[in-house]
Amino acid sequence: MSVFSALLRIALLALLVTFIAAPQVFAPVFEPLTSHGAPAIYNQGSLVALTLSHLWTVFVATLGSIVVAVSLGIFVTRPSGLEFLPLSRTIVNVGQTFPPVAVLAIAVPLVGFGEAPTLIALFLYGLLPIFENTLTGLTQVSPLTLDAARGMGMNARRRLVEIELPLALPVILAGIRLSLVINLSTATIGSTVAAKGLGEVIIAGLQSNNTAFVVQGGLVVAMLAFFIHDAFRLIERRAGRYQSAQASA
Amino acid sequence: MIAIEHLTKRYGADIVVDDVSLDVESGTIAVVVGTSGAGKSTLLRMVNRLIEPTAGRVLIDGQDTVTIPEDELRHRIGYVIQGNGLFPHRTVAENIATVPRLLGWEKKRIASRVDDLLNLFQLDPATFASKYPHQLSGGEQQRVGVARALAAEPKLLLMDEPFGALDPLIRTKAQADLLAIQRRFKTTILLVTHDMEEAFHLGDRIAVMDQARLLQYAAPTEILMRPAHEFVERLVGTAERPFRLLSLTSVSRALEPGNASGPPIDISANLRDALSELVWSGREALPVSDISGATIGKVSVAGILALRREQP
Repeated sequence: MSVFSALLRIALLALLVTFIAAPQVFAPVFEPLTSHGAPAIYNQGSLVALTLSHLWTVFVATLGSIVVAVSLGIFVTRPSGLEFLPLSRTIVNVGQTFPPVAVLAIAVPLVGFGEAPTLIALFLYGLLPIFENTLTGLTQVSPLTLDAARGMGMNARRRLVEIELPLALPVILAGIRLSLVINLSTATIGSTVAAKGLGEVIIAGLQSNNTAFVVQGGLVVAMLAFFIHDAFRLIERRAGRYQSAQASA
Repeated sequence: MIAIEHLTKRYGADIVVDDVSLDVESGTIAVVVGTSGAGKSTLLRMVNRLIEPTAGRVLIDGQDTVTIPEDELRHRIGYVIQGNGLFPHRTVAENIATVPRLLGWEKKRIASRVDDLLNLFQLDPATFASKYPHQLSGGEQQRVGVARALAAEPKLLLMDEPFGALDPLIRTKAQADLLAIQRRFKTTILLVTHDMEEAFHLGDRIAVMDQARLLQYAAPTEILMRPAHEFVERLVGTAERPFRLLSLTSVSRALEPGNASGPPIDISANLRDALSELVWSGREALPVSDISGATIGKVSVAGILALRREQP
């Protein structure tokens, strides 16, 4: 990473943190987006609290997706689970094609308003990228490498933990990154069923016809997504560093 | 000693290895040669039970391999495959340490063993230990693959086309290295190849396989002189047969008293090298020197021809 791009990231992060902690400072910037003397900065709750609960919701839902999708991916690539591969692919794909709004509509009567329906929708939505990438990662491990591992007396568990998962890790991480970023923006609709999150800011803006609120909510979510994406790219590069290590004499 | 007894592998109606029996004496190299699909690799992989035989058994020093737990058996048998199968996410040192680590050796012992092996294979530990496989050349990767297989000092080494991916120049060097190491550690080696040249160069005994069956298992000269099957005869190549035979015979066999002019040939060389030098330099005879460089006699074209007439 060059010095310039590092500085740019630090500056952006400082800007984001300042905005969340003390949004009033930016009132003049958003003034032009308001009309009839409406407030320029969201004033119906703490942005810090909303951001934290937004992140928390996404984190919990994605963690659930990771546990289920990675376990499922491992299971269907073992000899004993191979026959479930087509079935599990179908189920996970359905989870992705189902619009999150529809999941919310179905889930609310079952589990009530609040966090729960949002978590369910995000959990289902996050499964596919992680599952697909786990499959890709595990199946792309060279059969030659696995044959050598078996021939040297590594049992199935050791082959999985020491060879297959480390080699699949960069691809699995890319799937997790995709889920996180998608869920970060999808989580905003959770506010329609009373989940605490940055969606509240956007919805409040829509209800009071205040564009400034909508832009604020959208910007914070977008920047959070950017930083999470960026951080994950770094982690992925670290996990795959053996590929990029330069030959040195 | 490895005793393979009536080993058979069937997949449904297909028979891949058909009732193969052969013994490999301790400290020798047996080479299994044949066309692709002859069942060579399957035979090899039944020895460390990567493939379970349909019938027959393998005894290592008298012990039936089915009585040893799979993983334990494989810890005791070195295994080298074509394209080496190194772990791409592990450094050279970590790759070599694989089996010792599985066996729970102490860290110090592993580190010193890794260093020893790297030195043995002419890979400077300071340079190579922390490299990743993709940073190595094909020849270096191959050496690391063999070093890894030898790490836990196995008595038996299985090699499946170990030099198949190397270019000819590096392959010759790798074969010479293997012979040197085999002589030093007295490792028993079972090696699979489709390269007849390699089989004659490395094998104390050669097993010729075709269509799942073992056609002949004998010493290289025996294979050349008395091929047991038409297929064997075709495989050894009638045109190349005399040269192969010469390459298996030491210069000492055709040593005559007397002297000759020109640069000498070493007593440890083979007759193929001697003949080729005779033809190339247009001489009738070459002086032969011993290790110290002193001339101890000569080898001549007539002498080489006479030797052939003596053989049955």
